[in-house]
Amino acid sequence: MKTAQEMKPNSVMLIEGQPWLVQKAEFTKSGRNSAIVKMKLKNLLSGSSTETVFKSEDKVEPVILDRITVSYSYVSDGVYVFMDEDFNQYELSAEDIESVLPYIVDGMTDECEAVFFEGKVISVDLPTTIVRQIVYTEGSARGDTSGKVMKSAQLSNGTVVKVADFCEIDDWIEIDTRNGEYKCRAKAPV
Amino acid sequence: MPNRWDLFCRVIDNYGDIGVSWRLARQLVVEHGLDVRLWLDDVVAFCRIYPAADPNLCVQHHCGVAIHCWSEDCSGVEAADVVIEAFGCELPTQYIAAMTARERPPLWLNLEYLSAEAWVEGCHGLPSLQANSLAKYFFFPGFTSKTGGLLRESSLIQRRKDFQSCEEHKARFLQDLGVQWSTASQLISLFSYENAGLSTWLASLANAERSSHLLVPEGRILADLANYLGVARIHLGRPYRHGALSIQVLPFLSQDNYDRLLWACDFNIVRGEDSFVRAQWAGRPFLWHIYPQEGAHLIKLDAFLQRYCEGLSPDLRVALKACWLAWNQGQNCPASCFSLIGAAPVLAGHAERWCGRQMALENLADSLVLFQQNWL
Repeated sequence: MKTAQEMKPNSVMLIEGQPWLVQKAEFTKSGRNSAIVKMKLKNLLSGSSTETVFKSEDKVEPVILDRITVSYSYVSDGVYVFMDEDFNQYELSAEDIESVLPYIVDGMTDECEAVFFEGKVISVDLPTTIVRQIVYTEGSARGDTSGKVMKSAQLSNGTVVKVADFCEIDDWIEIDTRNGEYKCRAKAPV
Repeated sequence: MPNRWDLFCRVIDNYGDIGVSWRLARQLVVEHGLDVRLWLDDVVAFCRIYPAADPNLCVQHHCGVAIHCWSEDCSGVEAADVVIEAFGCELPTQYIAAMTARERPPLWLNLEYLSAEAWVEGCHGLPSLQANSLAKYFFFPGFTSKTGGLLRESSLIQRRKDFQSCEEHKARFLQDLGVQWSTASQLISLFSYENAGLSTWLASLANAERSSHLLVPEGRILADLANYLGVARIHLGRPYRHGALSIQVLPFLSQDNYDRLLWACDFNIVRGEDSFVRAQWAGRPFLWHIYPQEGAHLIKLDAFLQRYCEGLSPDLRVALKACWLAWNQGQNCPASCFSLIGAAPVLAGHAERWCGRQMALENLADSLVLFQQNWL
């Protein structure tokens, strides 16, 4: 058994015999309120989705999933195609990959993991740290070099992330895919 | 046969949890005709807020509510139609088994603490999938129509207005409490947690032009108060005078009398959750000492201030926030406090308008009943 707060996006748990894929998980702790995890779940048998709340310490039954390494190929008509080293293709919808969708960009070379339940691909995980290029951001407002002052920056797929004030257009940055936070400036991937 | 509701409450360290639970139980009985059992793990604490209760009885009835001592051994207890675990208290295992044994499983609600934070709206009323076929939902009180609202009896505001519109009511109530005050003084109630900065706040009142009379129901602030007064022990009821400030400590008040105290005062300092809500229904300016908890409480405090300060001028907003924050951090009385004193009529009008806005929302007991009806 695991606690609800240990269940991350793209993990699956069994509730009353039904496999539920965690598509989104938001942890909240406020004052005296219970620490809770709000999740968007997809039933892997019926395909239906639901929102639910758990106390963070609630016990849930995780399902061990099969995973293989894949890379992103292309998107066509809303279908995202990933390919393994044997050139097998795996197709997923935007909803299937909701948690990583903001980081899918054309030409990305990240080693991803396709996630399978009972032989069927259900989602894709990205590495914890990815490198992306800024295509637009305003100039530095205050000339801050500490990295504590943040501003918005846009990636090539339109995703907007908060970055350090000193970042500029065409800079490459590291992003933590678990929380979408900017980590630091980076070198362009080779 | 009336709908049967079970309400479970664990008393943590003050009287807020039990205060809210008792009010809710009473309202469900009186205004909705429900058959309510209130399960308490600390009946002695209950006796403090409801002195007619007997700490030695395991089952007793008051105001139509059946009060039960909560023990882990719940064998033989039949689960109700609606089960509320107040503030995330865990239900006894045997009781959960009784819930699953019912032909039709009950509605199980986790009633959470009050918060003005935006995320509450997104979690209010959501199910919590259980592995035992039970339907459990999270229920959040709050300040918007997307939450469960606040506890408010249907007659409360009228009773409050009747009281406040009659000076005789106020005078008689204060006399009964043994309060000796000059009508020229502003009345302030103080019911808060410990506060290291209290002396500077009281010194400001002592040095002010207008005289103040501070009424302090027994509670955790007394040691800081004694420190300010320079006495080893404070005597109940005895007036202490420092400059323009006189101070009287009152006995711990019943819920109904505490309401009247809030209505009678020009300004109230309140704490936790129950007195915080009651101060808002009093329609008088107040300061909230939020339950302190590892910094998270300041986010919650700010979320409330964002909502409460809407409609105030930018200057007043800044001054009010500075005061609340300073109090909650045990800091000295800030200079901005004096601009608030000068704006007392504006703040009084604002408090009444805020009360009106909250009144327009469904109250918590009605929201719960409606939730069950929709669930059925």
